Amino acid sequence: MKSAATMPRRNLVPWKGMLVGLLFGCLVVLNLAPLIWGFLTSLKSEADLFRFPPTLFDFEPTLENYRRVFASGFGQSLAVSLTYSTITVVMVLLLGVPAAYAFDRFEFPGRKPLLLLVVASIPLSLGAAALLIPNYIYFLKLGLTNHFYTLPLIYTAHQLPMAIWIIKGTMEGIPRELDEAAIADGAGHFTILRLVILPLILPGLGAAGVMAFVGSWNEFVASTVMVDNPALRPVQPAIYNFIGYFGREWGPLSAAAILGILPILIVFTLLGRLIVSGLTKGSVKG
Amino acid sequence: MTSRSTGLLYIVPAFSALLLVLFSPVFYGVWFSLHHIRFGTVGNFVGLRNYSYLLTDPTFSGTISRTVFHTSLSVILTVAISLALALWVHSLPPRRGFLVQMIVIIPWITSTVVATLLFKWVFVSDIGMAMSILRMLNLPDIQFLNDPNSAMGLLIAVSVWKRLGYALIILLAGLKSIPEDYIEAASLDGAGSWQTFQHIILPLLKTPLLLVVIVLTLSNINTVESPLVLTGGGPGSATRILAIDVFDRAFVNYDLASATSLALIMFLCNVLLVLAYVRLSKWKV
Repeated sequence: MKSAATMPRRNLVPWKGMLVGLLFGCLVVLNLAPLIWGFLTSLKSEADLFRFPPTLFDFEPTLENYRRVFASGFGQSLAVSLTYSTITVVMVLLLGVPAAYAFDRFEFPGRKPLLLLVVASIPLSLGAAALLIPNYIYFLKLGLTNHFYTLPLIYTAHQLPMAIWIIKGTMEGIPRELDEAAIADGAGHFTILRLVILPLILPGLGAAGVMAFVGSWNEFVASTVMVDNPALRPVQPAIYNFIGYFGREWGPLSAAAILGILPILIVFTLLGRLIVSGLTKGSVKG
Repeated sequence: MTSRSTGLLYIVPAFSALLLVLFSPVFYGVWFSLHHIRFGTVGNFVGLRNYSYLLTDPTFSGTISRTVFHTSLSVILTVAISLALALWVHSLPPRRGFLVQMIVIIPWITSTVVATLLFKWVFVSDIGMAMSILRMLNLPDIQFLNDPNSAMGLLIAVSVWKRLGYALIILLAGLKSIPEDYIEAASLDGAGSWQTFQHIILPLLKTPLLLVVIVLTLSNINTVESPLVLTGGGPGSATRILAIDVFDRAFVNYDLASATSLALIMFLCNVLLVLAYVRLSKWKV
């Protein structure tokens, strides 16, 4: 009985190893090829780009595409996006930490429904396309469009619910005995937050911060609609505008695309683990 | 030690931001959509007329059915593939499993604009990688974006490819929380791997699976970027789904009345999905 069950399985082993290898290869091609191919394209001159069969490495690399992209004002968009995303991360943590602290450690009127609202806002701000039109006409009415603070404000509100949720989850793991010991020593609750809790929730802050950075860097719809001053325009709408501007010139287009994901790839290489943990903590509580 | 309002004080800054950007616009939008709108300014109260105009719009039903088709097929494929991948990654040694996660998550952390642009360039464009390979094999070019069916197919492919990593990570976290003993006990009782999957793993994975389905549905319904960059809604209106329709009504046709009403209908669908999400996520108070 037992041998009958194991016999065919053993015969499958080399075949299975090949299958796994093939699957792994498919994944690598599907997920990494666009990046690598895009990077190579961005270094090719027009002549090399249209060569058939296409060359992988046998070409004269040129920075001409990058020069053209920067000449069209892309450097400014990169700087704008970097500023927006940094402000967003700082604001999300500044607003998110006290809120998470309150939800985790205090009893106050309306606590439960308000926390429910935060949880509900996580997927809601994810589906921002429907919210965007009401948001646009409302901001138009209040005169809040087209300012330097317009987009950081919107990004902050979009990223805040998930940040509160992630930070609160991390705080739950800190024993309340620590708070009580600090109270016995005469510490106020703000001191407890600053000196006892904050040093212990750094991984949670990291995960929340990385998610906020990636989310605000990648945001497109609000960025396109809420500002029309080129000096305030971040990277994503700038890349989209290049599609119309450069048309089928894939050289400069892929240069812009590569520059546009470079910061994300750097963050990802350094803090990839935090992204995975942020994603997990941000949605399923197990 | 603290009064009951201390906690409220700590959440005021965060809720001010949420109120201004997320909550108030919805109420303003509802009020706005009940009025006659001319060049963006609010006129007389007209009740639900902006909504009934939508229903008489001949393009409306087509947009809805395309949205349902795109969303349901994308979600089903993403969940099926990511579940299979998650089971596979779960059986790998931790280091290799982590590597696979890192590779699959790349399209997800890339912005939709850039991801769709690179996807289009590599797999669709006439001088991209895929077409070059076809040509080297002496096969004819395929003009995916000129045919309504294959354009929609491609849009679904982008949606699946883009979100696979997200689904994989959530499902993998769910798999990791299933105690090893359950699966061992099942195999001791002589259950095959399919039986173990069907009777042990699947029921225990129900919550993360449903969460993934809801989040994927939400994000697919609301995606403007991928149809905008990949097809622009074309050819004809073959890939004109709800999100891009709302976007075009507002910012291409400057018809804010119909855009706002349609966006609010969409918002209502989002809220229903969110309610399901809240019920499922094990949020402790």
